[in-house]
Amino acid sequence: MLADITLGQFYPADSFVHKMDPRVKIVLLIVFIVGIFLAKNLIAFIPAVLFVILAARMSRLPVRLLIRSLKPLRFILIFTFILNIFFLQGNLPEGQEPTPVLDWWIIHLTAEGILQALLYSLRLIVLVLGSSLLTLSTSPIALTDGLEMLMTPLKVIRFPAHEIAMMMSIALRFIPTLLEEADKIMKAQTARGADFESGNILKRAKAMIPLLVPLFVSAFRRAGDLAMAMEARCYHGGEGRTRLRVLKCTWRDLWGAAAAVLMVAGCVLISEFVHII
Amino acid sequence: MRIVLEKVGYEYQQGSPFSAVALKDIDLTIREGEFVALIGHTGSGKSTLAQHLNGLIRPTQGTVYYEDEEGRADIHGKGYSKKSLRRQVGLVFQYPEYQLFEETVQKDVAFGPKNLGLDKDEIDARVKEAITRVGLDYDAVAEKSPFELSGGQMRRVAIAGVVAMRPGVLVLDEPTAGLDPGSREELLQMIKGLHDSGTTIVMISHNMDDVARYAGRIVVMQKGTVVMDGTPREIFSRGEELERMGLDVPQSCRLSLMLRKDGFPDFPLCYRPEEVTEALEKLLGGEGRAC
Repeated sequence: MLADITLGQFYPADSFVHKMDPRVKIVLLIVFIVGIFLAKNLIAFIPAVLFVILAARMSRLPVRLLIRSLKPLRFILIFTFILNIFFLQGNLPEGQEPTPVLDWWIIHLTAEGILQALLYSLRLIVLVLGSSLLTLSTSPIALTDGLEMLMTPLKVIRFPAHEIAMMMSIALRFIPTLLEEADKIMKAQTARGADFESGNILKRAKAMIPLLVPLFVSAFRRAGDLAMAMEARCYHGGEGRTRLRVLKCTWRDLWGAAAAVLMVAGCVLISEFVHII
Repeated sequence: MRIVLEKVGYEYQQGSPFSAVALKDIDLTIREGEFVALIGHTGSGKSTLAQHLNGLIRPTQGTVYYEDEEGRADIHGKGYSKKSLRRQVGLVFQYPEYQLFEETVQKDVAFGPKNLGLDKDEIDARVKEAITRVGLDYDAVAEKSPFELSGGQMRRVAIAGVVAMRPGVLVLDEPTAGLDPGSREELLQMIKGLHDSGTTIVMISHNMDDVARYAGRIVVMQKGTVVMDGTPREIFSRGEELERMGLDVPQSCRLSLMLRKDGFPDFPLCYRPEEVTEALEKLLGGEGRAC
């Protein structure tokens, strides 16, 4: 039943991208996203696409995993693409008329509109691929460590960076545990004749009570136990705490940063000088 | 009713890179009225096997049949009603007290019978009977919240929830885990009581002394297969093999094996404390009483 769900998509491998510093990867992802939003036309997208392909190659992740990360998006992609080709006419310089492709009844399709719809879809695809590359190549723990370090400067404004990172890692840690627990409770209630699969929405929502109540009870129990165990080991927040995994920037991160900067520069320059739509 | 497993195999997450074989080629028949103990090392597939017995898991290979005088039926076959499945075989999971959810003990125990679609009077009668059966005072606990009870009491309420469905076969996955010796004894007595009144019992256990005292048949599992199947006497006489598998033998059995090895080759192989006492008394004769 629930056992087949895998959360947290980290795919362990020994690669250039896997070995990069999580902080750098997070920052580079942000830079990358800024870059693809600065790319104004399809040609300007070439550096972004190249960057993703290069990163994917260097991460040694199976291509099918990356493709799978797009799967939940397929409806949004198709939907936005179809809507966009009807409503977009392309950003043309003033005075220039769009090239009509189809003009029938209330439907007016233009070549420029279709290109722009393509651009939007491509932007979405590249965006998701880039983010998936980060989550696939970085373990959840490294990710929270990276986030914590990046949020540390916010401590000046009393932002609880360490606490938030700790909460995130605890949450991540307990997702599989709770899933397993939910699966077990579900089976146990099924054995008592509970039916989670049939009936209308109201009936199904009601059928969730025998699952949710024990799940909450056990989540609270686990939280209590964990708090006690942390206290017993003198946990007192982030102050003065050393780390097991010390994050270090290496030449890999330098190369990654250089590639990202080049990509953004490429996107901006091409958008500036090449106008196709 | 008999439960017949034929060439049953189960693989977790079949087809994915994380697949793991939990059971393979299990041929097993649970006959009516038996008290079967299922033993094996952690991860040997006992719990997975138990969940096959009432159709919670569908085997990836082989078939599970329920068989009676009228013939046999594939429980995952078309037209086999899930409801009748649950009615016939009850399953008590490990730490069943973590499944309690209702506001009162009465309502929680009634959950199963209600799902069977029984009428109210019948449900009330069954709930009352089940709660009494597991050794709790109905009037004292019925209107209490199950979360106010002690651990041992919660476990009994949870078991009552399954007992109230009056299954012909009751499967229990380590029912005594984490209980104090007193509650453990009472719980085992209660299970024995159910068996005496005609319920077929399948019990997973790690405690060989319990197994030796109550079970009429022992099934030993290792790495997803059944490696031994027989009476306690047959199984425990192969004590060394069990130990090689990382399993224990009952203390009485260990004592008699030690005695047989160290100068008393005629000492009978006992697996219950009473038998050992008797044999020792016989061995020591009059002298024994003196000390």
